[in-house]
Parts: sequence; structure tokens; C-alpha cells
Amino acid sequence: MPDAKLPLTLMLFLPFASSAATALMPAGARNLVAWLAGLTALAVFGLGLWAAPEIYAGTVLRAQYAWLPEYGLNFSIRLDGFAWAFAMIVSGIGALVVLYARYYMSPDDSAPRFFAFLLGFMGAMLGVVISGNLIQLVFFWELTSLFSFLLIAYWHHKDAARDGARMALTVTAAGGLSLFAGMLIIGHIVGSYELDVVLSSGRTIVDHAMYPAALALVAFGALTKSAQFPFHFWLPRAMTAPTPVSAYLHSATMVKAGVFLLARMWPVMAASDYWFWVFTPVGAATLLIGAFLAMFQQDLKGLLAYSTISHLGLIVLLLGLGSPLAAVAAIFHMINHATFKASLFMAAGIIDHEAGTRDIRQLGGLYRAMPITATLAMAAAAAMAGVPLLNGFLSKEMFFAETIESHVDSAFDHTLPYLATLAGMFSVAYSLRLIDQVFFGPEATDLPRKPHDPAIWMLAPAALLALMCLLVGVLPTWTISGFLSAAVFGVLGALTPEYSLAVWHGLTPALLMSVVALGGGTLTYLGLKDYLSGAVEGPPLLRRLSGKRLFERAIAMLSWRWARELEELLGTNRLQSQLRALVVIMVLAGCWPLLAGAGFSPAAALASVGVWLGNTWLSPRWLTSSAPMVGMFDPALLLVWAVGVACAVGAAWQAKYHRLVALILMGGSGLATSITFVWYSAPDLALTQLLVEIVTVVLILLGLRWMPRRDELIPDDQLTSARLRRLRDLFIAIAAGCGVAALAFAVLTSEQTATIGDEMIRRAYPEGGGHNVVNVILVDFRGFDTLGEITVLGAVAITVFALLRRFRPARDSFAAPDQKRFQTEYDSTRYAPGKDPINAHYMLVQGVIIRLLFPVICAMAAFLFMRGHDLPGGGFIGGLTFAIAFILQYIAGGARWVEDRLVVLPVRWIGAGILLAAATGLGALLFGRPFLTTAFRYVELPLFGKTPMASALSFDLGVFALVFGATVLMLIAIAHQSIRVYRTMEKASVREKAAARSGGDV
Amino acid sequence: MEPVIAIAIGVLTGSGVWLVLRPRTFQVIVGLSLISYAVNLFIFSMGRLKVGAPTFTGGAGASALADPAPQALVLTAIVISFAMTALLLVVTIASRGLTGSDHVDGREDGL
Amino acid sequence: MSWTQHLILAPILLPMVVAGLMLVIDGRSGRITAALGVFSTFALLFIAIVLLAQASAGGAQSAVQVYQIGNWPSRLGIVLALDRLSAMMLALTALLATAAMVFSLARWHKAGSFFHPLFQVLLVGLNGAFLTGDLFNLFVFFEIMLAASYGLALHGSGHARVKAGLHYIAVNLVASSAFLIGVSLIYGATGSLNMADIASRIGDLDAHGAMLFRVGAAVLGVAFLVKAAIWPLGFWLPTTYAAAGPPVAAMFAIMTKVGVYAILRLGLLFTPDGQGNVLAASGLLLTGGLITIIYGMLGMLASQAMARLAGFSVLTSSGTLLAVMGAGNANVFSATLYYLVSSTLAIAAFFLLIELAERGRARADDVLAVTLEAYGIVYDEDSEDSREAGAAVPAILAILGIAFMACALLLSGLPPLSGFIAKFAMLDALLDQARNGPAPGSAWAAWLLVATLVVSGLATLIAMMRAGIRTFWPSFEREAPRVSMIELGPVLVLLALCVGLTIQAGPAMRFVRHTTEQLAERKLYMDAVLKKPVVTPQASAAHAPAAHAPALPAGARTPVPTPPKKGAAR
Repeated sequence: MPDAKLPLTLMLFLPFASSAATALMPAGARNLVAWLAGLTALAVFGLGLWAAPEIYAGTVLRAQYAWLPEYGLNFSIRLDGFAWAFAMIVSGIGALVVLYARYYMSPDDSAPRFFAFLLGFMGAMLGVVISGNLIQLVFFWELTSLFSFLLIAYWHHKDAARDGARMALTVTAAGGLSLFAGMLIIGHIVGSYELDVVLSSGRTIVDHAMYPAALALVAFGALTKSAQFPFHFWLPRAMTAPTPVSAYLHSATMVKAGVFLLARMWPVMAASDYWFWVFTPVGAATLLIGAFLAMFQQDLKGLLAYSTISHLGLIVLLLGLGSPLAAVAAIFHMINHATFKASLFMAAGIIDHEAGTRDIRQLGGLYRAMPITATLAMAAAAAMAGVPLLNGFLSKEMFFAETIESHVDSAFDHTLPYLATLAGMFSVAYSLRLIDQVFFGPEATDLPRKPHDPAIWMLAPAALLALMCLLVGVLPTWTISGFLSAAVFGVLGALTPEYSLAVWHGLTPALLMSVVALGGGTLTYLGLKDYLSGAVEGPPLLRRLSGKRLFERAIAMLSWRWARELEELLGTNRLQSQLRALVVIMVLAGCWPLLAGAGFSPAAALASVGVWLGNTWLSPRWLTSSAPMVGMFDPALLLVWAVGVACAVGAAWQAKYHRLVALILMGGSGLATSITFVWYSAPDLALTQLLVEIVTVVLILLGLRWMPRRDELIPDDQLTSARLRRLRDLFIAIAAGCGVAALAFAVLTSEQTATIGDEMIRRAYPEGGGHNVVNVILVDFRGFDTLGEITVLGAVAITVFALLRRFRPARDSFAAPDQKRFQTEYDSTRYAPGKDPINAHYMLVQGVIIRLLFPVICAMAAFLFMRGHDLPGGGFIGGLTFAIAFILQYIAGGARWVEDRLVVLPVRWIGAGILLAAATGLGALLFGRPFLTTAFRYVELPLFGKTPMASALSFDLGVFALVFGATVLMLIAIAHQSIRVYRTMEKASVREKAAARSGGDV
Repeated sequence: MEPVIAIAIGVLTGSGVWLVLRPRTFQVIVGLSLISYAVNLFIFSMGRLKVGAPTFTGGAGASALADPAPQALVLTAIVISFAMTALLLVVTIASRGLTGSDHVDGREDGL
Repeated sequence: MSWTQHLILAPILLPMVVAGLMLVIDGRSGRITAALGVFSTFALLFIAIVLLAQASAGGAQSAVQVYQIGNWPSRLGIVLALDRLSAMMLALTALLATAAMVFSLARWHKAGSFFHPLFQVLLVGLNGAFLTGDLFNLFVFFEIMLAASYGLALHGSGHARVKAGLHYIAVNLVASSAFLIGVSLIYGATGSLNMADIASRIGDLDAHGAMLFRVGAAVLGVAFLVKAAIWPLGFWLPTTYAAAGPPVAAMFAIMTKVGVYAILRLGLLFTPDGQGNVLAASGLLLTGGLITIIYGMLGMLASQAMARLAGFSVLTSSGTLLAVMGAGNANVFSATLYYLVSSTLAIAAFFLLIELAERGRARADDVLAVTLEAYGIVYDEDSEDSREAGAAVPAILAILGIAFMACALLLSGLPPLSGFIAKFAMLDALLDQARNGPAPGSAWAAWLLVATLVVSGLATLIAMMRAGIRTFWPSFEREAPRVSMIELGPVLVLLALCVGLTIQAGPAMRFVRHTTEQLAERKLYMDAVLKKPVVTPQASAAHAPAAHAPALPAGARTPVPTPPKKGAAR
């Protein structure tokens, strides 16, 4: 056999390629794109013909590319008879549809878009049929849903089109996902996703425990795609698509994908009662309901859509029966239905195109106006009805014959023939109606356009298809048998039964059924005729319940209302709830290891907690040996913490209504903290904590000015609900506190393992060149942390600045606070307006002192900075002190006063700080050392004495610069607000300006 | 002294958490500051407690000195929490300015 | 040391220095600042790719690159460690950064002050978090990242951003204290901060210490889970992301992944040998992840504003990661990493796209204005300069439509894009595990996950379709938005990358598989870090190897004479 790799690949990718090409073409190039599309379809068809001899010989052509081999997902193409047959249909009818569409679409529709989508769909459909890999099949399966969505919504300015498209996609995509899951299961039952392996797996799937699940999932996928009851409702809505699309997707190809899949999996999945009981009833129901509803459609395309549903039901029913002969009939009917239904859709399109309406009630007597169209339509409709000498008859005959055969001995099984006949009658009835009420009867007068036969090229496709119906119907053995047997062999292989395509089998029950159907159908139609011509849309009984409306209600309910409610139930937009959840989870996480140790039984858990606490609290380690228990219960520190604790609780108590008090109390507990640091030999920490304390308090004080006054109680606070909420929070707080306390204690009382700290102490001086180990750690061992930490500080500072540049104060905080108002009023009585009362009087004494202090503090800062490496101090402390020197000036003189006299460019300080620190670190690279490797020696400096001139010092200088810059920047940013406010206010009076100068009420 | 310190840490945390769960921005700020004290002490206590053993080498051997590593961590932690407190403060001011309320949700509905 | 060995520093130092420069020239939003920013981001992209090549050289056995800052032995100083995982995350970050940066140049970087410096600092934080091998240093980098992200989230100020920012900051501050408590507990128990060193010490802890360690690890985990926005710790996320400017939100797409990264890294590293996958040890991660997926899915369905929808899609994505990590074995992890990359790219593209797509619609005829108000998403005019950017690209609506569809497919995991591959790979691996997995519980977990993932895919599709139809196919005639090439370009590039991931699924999958294999070999990482000798001078005797005599049972062993002053010769 010739190397099939290239042709098969082309077969699959040509459509996509030219789809992309088409999409790029200018909107005007209608003929060009049409030609491109048509030639592509023909090319694929040609490739099919090239493969025909091989296929007829029963060989299977394969092409494979590695895609995701680890997961058994290869890009593999597998062309056997069945796939080939479908490929021929897809490409052949595709070519005809393109020709048809070229004339159907009006010049103001964007041809490139239409043909791009159409070609894309063709590619996807080919992908489905010739995939050699289950996952790849799903892959293209979903693509078909996608392109059909785009095609249905081609005229997306129409609401109906949008809704129809959305519904189609929702239903079919859901099916696709379920199919995906099903294929995953099958793949894991068989152990491979390759179709070859799956199809040769015999009864493996059917016997596996997961078979029902797999079957259900696959069935859902197939039934939704093939619009089977109760998922049929999307197909009629999809009729809002341009007619060529309906002719292609909704008769010949896409809706066939479902039944294609069922036939594809038939050999390995059908051999079980589940299969029968899933598909036969569904098929039967769809067959009947579809046919019944079709009779009552007033829209020409609607009628065809429902008849399609019913015919697909027939196919599903046949496949469900599970006998090889039934399968043959099913495959045969797939082919036949594709031909006559496509041709009918085209005819309907022509009528719509020429007459301007599709409403059967309006149409009538068109035979005189458009005889050719009428003849074609009649041939195709007859085939649909199963009139002898047309292809429809043959497969229907087979169908009837099959229904008589008994498969599972049950009541349902015995009624099948009657149901089949009934459905046959219906289909005859609607076919008759289609012909009679559209082409005959009184000539329609009130048509939007004057109807006449269309251009020859628009007729040609429909004509060709109708001709095929006739030829196949008359001379099956010469025309179709080879094609059919190839397809059948592709599915059944060795199981292929004996079957005859003869038109005349003698007087068989099947023939009788056909006769009854034809006769009964005619009578039914005659009976209903008058009712129908007057009736409104839809059947008499079921008009009320419409699948569409139900579906849309369900979707709205599920995906909108319930979703919202659940989302609100599961989530929250309130900060308190979020923080509460976070804290609770943290507490639980803290306890979890204890509980997990006890295997989650509450009693055991409690026990284990008890034991653990016992071991720690009552551990003899700290009761007896005083080693880790330095200065047990030192009264002084005890007192300090008595106060500190009181402060903390007090702050918690007061923070709502007395902010200033709370702030002071907070400072109190902060102080206790720093004292503790001093106590336990951490002077650096104490110093830093203290300085940070000061700056923080100042900042908050500045901020307080913008908080709303709160001197009256908030009524809600008194509600019981609020009290309960507070109670709950109290419990959470206590739990958290106890947890952390227990942990701290557990650590404090446990033996200390050998830490890296010891080694650091040992090596700090010899290698880090500093006596103050903490500082050495900060600038050397863990200098990288410090670098990061100052980056944080810098980032925050500029954020603060950026944010406050857009600050808009609330209305009620415009007015200056009381004490300042009184002060300024008082001042204004004594000073001329414009003269600065603040510097003259307000805060006079403090101001002078503070200004005098400025140089002193600066010197102090420098000193702290220089000694850092050996004694408490260093860049951070120095920088902070330096910043405080400025803060004091602001407090004393106000923003304006300071900025008139001092130029500080804090942002530049920040930048310089980062650069200096980083540069220092990078210096080491020049010496072939890693980043931040330090070098040092001691030098004698005047004033400072013996000073370590470590490279760490310049690093520390960077820290210094940044800390200073950042702190001052934040401070200025906040302090400036009070000036900004008055700028933003319309009427800024002199007095307010004066008030503003004190930069916030400090 | 261990129990005292442990309890101190516990109380600081407790009051902090209580405040963090309150509806007013200022309360949250104070609460977070308290929590940061607690956390600093907590980290510090990881080096166990040693009196009169400042970590200045030259003299005593390693064993006599307190563990310097946690101290260094605390220093970093202090700086960062300082920065974050300042940021939070400014954001609350801004939110107060834009929403006109000092409620953490910017609305005056309930607590 | 050769210069190539220093390259590992660049992802952290380059942006840091650039940010410093910007501030020195006082960059509010000047041309130079922008130029610097662009230069740095592109340079970072290049460097990240080089590092990726270095780290992945040698397939599964590729070595872990270690850099000892300050030339101290790993356990004493701070180390940077570059393995395949961190290299991958670096590359991903750089890609997003480049896209976001270019996008922002059209208009967003002018929405407020200091966009560029903050952006660079964010990169410092992210890259550092991926590179560092030190637990406390990880905290520092998290804080850098957060500090910058606060700034960027508030960039442009305005009602919505400030309100969301307040919640975001408050929650993360509490989480940060959890982080500190966790780290310090671990130090208290093990006496070390270096991840590898800790991992090596876990084995010989006494019961008490082990208990403390576990508590510490658990609390630490909570801190990470907040970053990963697991339910119920992630409610701040959708609002914050929806309120943030598009380039910022796109950058944030990686931030939840940082939490996931940390969990993966530490979870595997801190698992004592032969205890299997600690992440799956308790069903917590799985359960939390599942609920997160469902919550995100509901949120997507419930949200009308596209930005908010995108925010919830972030939740679904990170929920998926957590759940699968919580259910799966190493084999599943590799699929998870693939998903991580694909979904991050998709979400970033989506965030950028939204603003372009909605630009054309007049705010007045936006039916949703009211709901937006309810969600607190109010477009404040001063946040964007009203001038439309650039000239209109022809057929822009069609292009945007296609891009949107690509996003929808990627997020819902439908064919033909990498989202589908990712979902397939994860499900397939899960089912494999369920079939022949050791843990009996893993079977039902797998099935539950399969079901949830499939359903969430459908829900995403429905939500996206609804939003897309409303935006691109409105009943009224909408005028085409004016979009400049530098805005459209990044979106298309990100999506093109996803296409690439699809076509090159095989190689990509192989890469992540080797990555997880390397992760599973914790010994590899530990030895690389702990056995790494410090740099010794070639010429100057002053820097003898003896300078770093180890006192603890790990690291470079060399005889210990009296240590001379390190570097004194310089």
C-alpha cells in the first residue's frame, strides 16, 4: 500500500489551512473565497477517491505523529471504510454547499467570515471521523460544537441567532465534556486511547465494572450531539442559521457525529442489555415525537429540523437494537438521510430566498412559479417519506424488517413494529404536507417577493443530490453497494452479515408496514390538512411545554440565580468575616498537628493536648533546674508586664471611642516590649523598637486628624446581635492568645538545639569584623535580608506618597479641629492677619527648644550609626534618629516653615540608599567573591576613635539613607494633607491658611 | 520568668486579635500594632531568655551569650511591620476620605 | 568566580538597582523611567531564558545551582538556589512582566505616580521568592512582593481600588504575622533557617521538637494558603484584582502561584523520607482546593463585570492546582505544573484583553453600571487619562473577539488550546493513580476531582460565553475601540505562547516531568545546598578555605586553623 501519511494529513489540514487563508481575505472577495472553499472541499474529496481502492480492498490507512506520547495521546489519523464513507459525505456535500452558499449569501454578508467558519467546521468534522485516537476525537468533537456556534450566530445582530447559537453550544459542549470523561474511562479500561487498540479489545469494556458509567457518559455526549429526545430542542432553534449551514451541519454532518460515534463504538460497547435499554427507547421516543412535531411545524425549516430529529432517532434505535443487520440498516440510513435531507434544506433555502418567507401557511401553488425546484423537492420529500424507488425506501424497509426481529423478549420489544409503522405514517404525512401546501393548492398572492426558479448554479447542488436519491433508489446494487459495504465492513469487520439491497424482496411484513405507513400517512394528512393550514405554530397538545423555554429557565436558575445565592452564601465581601475566618483557621492549624497525632477522635485529641501541655507546663525542667529559668519571677519585670498587659487590654477596650487614649496605651505596651528586650540582653532591639514606636505614634497622630469625630455612642453597638458578635470575637481572641502563649512557653521551656546562632557568635568577630553580633548578622551574615527589608520600606514609602497625592478628605474633616480654631481665633484678635501666629505664639517654647535640638540629634544619629558594628546602633537606628530630628522640626514649625529652610528630597535619598547598598554588595564581585562578601579594617577617626571601616559600613550607610528618606517621605506626605485640604476647598480664608501651617493638629 | 513572658505574648496577641476583628479602621491599626509586638516578642523568645548576656563578642564564649539570630530576625520584622502599619494607616485615611466612613468596609451597615 | 555564576543574582538585583535609579532621577512617569523599565524587563526576560537553559541542562539529572551570598557556608548565610522549578517560575514571571510592561506604556503607567519603580520592586519580590533557599529570606521577599503589590493595586487610586486595597492589605498583614510565627517556631525547633539545613535536621528532632516543628509548618502553610487564595481565605482576591489596573492584574496572575510554589517546594522538602506526599497526607489541601474551584466557578457565573469574572477565574485556577496537588502523586504534579503555566498565561492575557474589549462601550449604555456600583467597582475618571491610546487597528473587533474566544477556551479547558491538554493530562494522571495508586482513598478523590474539573469547565464556558456575547455581540451597534499595537501585541503574544504550548505539548510535558522528578529527589537539593563549598581565593592567602570551618554536621569540611580575617587583604 502507498505511504498514506501525507495524503491523510493533507485531508485533515487543508480545510483548516484554507480557513485561515480565507479569514485574511478582504470582505469584497466573494468569488475568490468561494472558489478557495470549493476547491478545498473538492481536493479533500479527490484525496478520498485516491484512497478508495485501498479502502474497498478493506485495508485501513493510518498516519501518526507523536504529540503527547507520555499520556498516550498521539496525533493519529485512521481511515477505515466507515471513516472514509463519512469523509466522502463531509467533503462531497461540503463542496455542493459551498457552491449553493455562494449564491445564497447576499453581497452584504461578509463572505470571508462565512467561508472561514464553514471550512473550519469541515476540518473539525473530518477530524472527528478520521481520528485514530479517542481523545483526539473528543478534541475535534468540541471544535465542531464551536464552529457550529459561530455559524449559527453568523447573523449575530439577531437575538434569535444569538440565543440559538448559545443554546446549541451549551448543550453540545456539555455533551462533549461528558464524552471526554467517558473516553478517559474507556481509555483506562482498555489501557490505551488508540482507536485500533480499543476496537480490538473485544468484550473488555463491556465486562468492566466501570462500563455503565462509561456508557452513560458516552451516551450523553452522543445523544446531545444528535439531538435525541430529551436533548433535541436545540436543533430547531439552530435553524436561525443561514440555510447552507442547516443543509450542511444540521442534516448531513454535525448531527450525524453522534450516531457516527455510536456506530464507531458499537463493536466494543453494544454487546450488553444496558446498551439496548439506553438507546432503543430513546431512539423510539425521538423517532415518534420528532415525526409527530414535524407535522405541526409552520416554518419550512422547522419541519425539516424535526424530521431530522426523528430520522436520527430512527438511526439511534437501529443501533440500539444491537444486531449486525440493524447496524447495517443504520449506516445505510445515515448515508441516505444525508442526501435527501441536504437537498430538501437547499430547496427550502431557495424558496425562502425567492419567495421571501418560509411560512407554510403563506406559501402555496409555487409549482407554477418554480417548477424545477418543485420537482427536486418532491423527489427528495418522497425519499424522506420512504416511497419506493427512492433511497429512503430501501433503508426504511430494512428498518421495518429489523423492528420485527425479536431481540430482548419484552413488551416494549413487541410494540416496536407498531411504533415504527406509526412513525412511518407521520413522516409520510409531513412529507405530503410539505409538497402539497407549498407547491400546490391556491397560488399565494401576498408573498414578499415574486417567486421564480433561481440561477442554475443554485439549483445544481440540490438537483445532484435529488438525482442520487433516485439512482440509489432504483439501482442500489450498481450505485451504493460498494460504498455501503466498505462502510459496513469498517464498523463490523468480521461480523458483517449477509444483506441484500434489492428493491423487491417479495411480500414481506416489512413491505406491508411500508404500505400501511404510506396509506395511513396520506389519510392522516388529509385529516389534518384544514386544521394545519389555519393552526398556529406548534402541535395541539404539547404547545404549552417547549423544551426551549424549560431549558432557558433551567439555565437561568442554575447558572444565574442559584450561582449568585450560593456565591453569596459561600463568600463574603466583609473584612471582618474574612479576618475572622483567617484567625480561626490559624488557631486550628496550630492545634491540628496535636489532633492529627491523636487520629482525630475528640477524646484522644483532648487527651493528647492535655498530655502535651502537661509535659511542657509541668516539665521538671523548669520547676527544678534553674538553668533555662533565669531570674525566675523577677518582681521588676513582673511589674512592667503587669502594666504592659493592662495597657494592651486597655487599648483594646478604648480604641473605638477614645483613640488618643488607645494610642497612648498601645505605646505603653510597646514600651514594656522594649524593656523586655533590654532585660534579656537585646539592646539593639530595644533601641529600634523605641524609635519605631516614636515614629509610628507621630504618624498615627497625624492620621487621626482625618478620622471622623466619634463622641456619641453608635446605637447599633447596643443591639444584642452586636453583643453576641463581640462575645464570639472575644472567644476567638482568647483562643488565639492562649494558643500563642502555649507555643511560646513550649519553646521557652524546651532545650535549645545547636543553632546557627552559636556559630555566628563564634565567627562574627574573626570573619565579620564586628563585636556586635546582631549587627554583623544584619550587615553580613544576613545582609541580604536587610537589603530586602529596606526595599520594602522604600516601596511602602513611595506607595504612601503616590496614594496621598490623590487624597480627597471627607467633607466633615475640612473644618479645623476645635482647639486650633479657638487658638487661631484668639490669635487673630491679637495679630494682623497674614502674620504667622503660630511661630509668634502657638507652641512657641517647644518650637524654640526643638529647633535648638536639631543639630544635637543629627550628631547623635551620626554617632549611633558609626558605632553600629560593635555596639548597639547601626544604619537603621541612625537613619531613624536622623528622621526624628526632622519630624520634630515639622511638629514645631509646620510643613511650610521647614521646607522654606531645608531642602530634603526624600525620594532621591531612598533611591540613593538602595543603590549604595546594592553597589557595596556588588563590589565583592570585582574581587571574585559572591555578592555582599564583606572586607574590613579598623581605622582611627577623630571624634569616633577606633572605628571599623568595613565594607559593611557603606552598606549600612545605604540603609541609613533609605530609612531616613522613607520615613521623612511618609511623614511629609501625611503632614502635607492639611495644606492640600485647604487648597481643595473653594473659599480658603487667611485664617484657615494660618491654621494649616501647623501641619495637622499636633 | 518564662510563664510571665508567655502570658504577656498571649495577652498582646489576644487584644490584638480582638481589635483586628473590630469594624473601625483605627481599631484594626492598633490591633495590628499589638499583634506585631506579640510576634516580635515571640520571635525573640525563640532564642530562649538570657539575662545579662548581650551579644557582644570579645570576652565571654558563645555559650554564655544569647542567641543573636532571632534578634536579627526581630529587627527585620520590626522594620517591616513599621512600614506596613504606616501603609495601612494611610490607606485607611484615603478610604475614609473616599467613602466618608471609617468602617473597614467603607459602609455604615452594621458592625 | 566566573561571571556566569553570578547570573543567578540578576533577577533580583537588576530590578532592584533599576528601581533605585528611577527613584534617584525621581521618576514619577518620565520618559527615562519608562525606558529604564522596558530595558530591565526585557533584560530580565533574556536572563530568565538563559537561566532556564542552564537549569534544565542534563534532563532529569540537571544540577541545582547554588549561590552563597556573603560567601558564608549555606547554613550560616543566605543562599539562592536555582533548580528547574524556580527557573521555570522565573521565566514565567519574566514573560508576564514583559507583556504587562509593554501594555502599560500605552496609558496605564501614567495613571498614578511611581508605577515603574513599584513594578520593578514587584519583580524583585517575585524573583527572590522563587530563588531563595532561606526560610526567613523567603518571608522578606514575600513582603517585598506584597509591598509592591499594595502600591500597584492602589495605582491610580479611586474608590474601588482603595476599598479593595484596604481589605487586601489587612488580610495579608495578618497572614504575614502567621508567616513570622511559623518561621520562628521552625527556628525554635530546628535552630536553623536554611531550608535544606532544616530539612536535614527534621530527622533527629525529639518528640517535643517535632511537635513544635509541625505546628510551625502548619501555621506557615496557612500563610501560603492565603497567598494562594484558597477558600475561605481568598475572598479579598476577586475584588482586588478586578479593581486593579489591567497590567497590574495581569502581573498579579502569578502572585497566587507564588503561594502554590512555596507549598510545593517546602511541602516536598520538609517531608521526611519515606512518608510519601505530605501535601496529600491529610485531605485538607484537596478539600480546600475543591471548594475553591466550586466557589470560583459560582463566582464566575454570578459576576456580570468581566474583570470580576477574571478575578474568580484566578480562584478556580489556583483551586485546581491545590486540589490536584493535594490528591496527586509526583506523576500528577508534572501535569499540574503544565496547567500552572498555561492557566497563568491565559489569565494574564484575559486581564489585559478585558480593558481593550470594554473600551469601546460607552459607560452610559452599560446595563451593568448599577451592579458594578454594588460590587464597588466604579470607574473613576481620574484613574485613566481620558485620551484614547494609539490609532485604531483595522478589524480590531474581530481580532479582540478571537482573542477572547481563545481565553474562554483556555480557561474552560476546551480544545484546541493548551487548557485542554493541561486538563487532559491532569485527569489522565489522576485516573492512572486511581487505578493503580497505593492509597485507597486516592480513588474517590480522583473521581471527585475529575467530576469537579469537568463541571467547572462547563460553568466557565457558560460564564465566558455570556460575557462575550454581551460584549462583542451587543444588540445595539457598538463602535470599534481604538486600540494601539503595543496594547494588542502583548495579548496576542501571550495567547501565541499558549498555542505553542499546545503544539509543543510533548516537549513541554517532558520538561515538567523532569522538573517534578528533580523535586521528588529532595536529597539532590539538600546536598547541592549544604555540600556547596565557599569561594576560596586563588591568589591571596588571606582568604583560606579555613575561613569557614563548619561547626555543624554539614557543608564544606576543611581543617580548622585559627581563622585569619576574611578579606583583610583587600
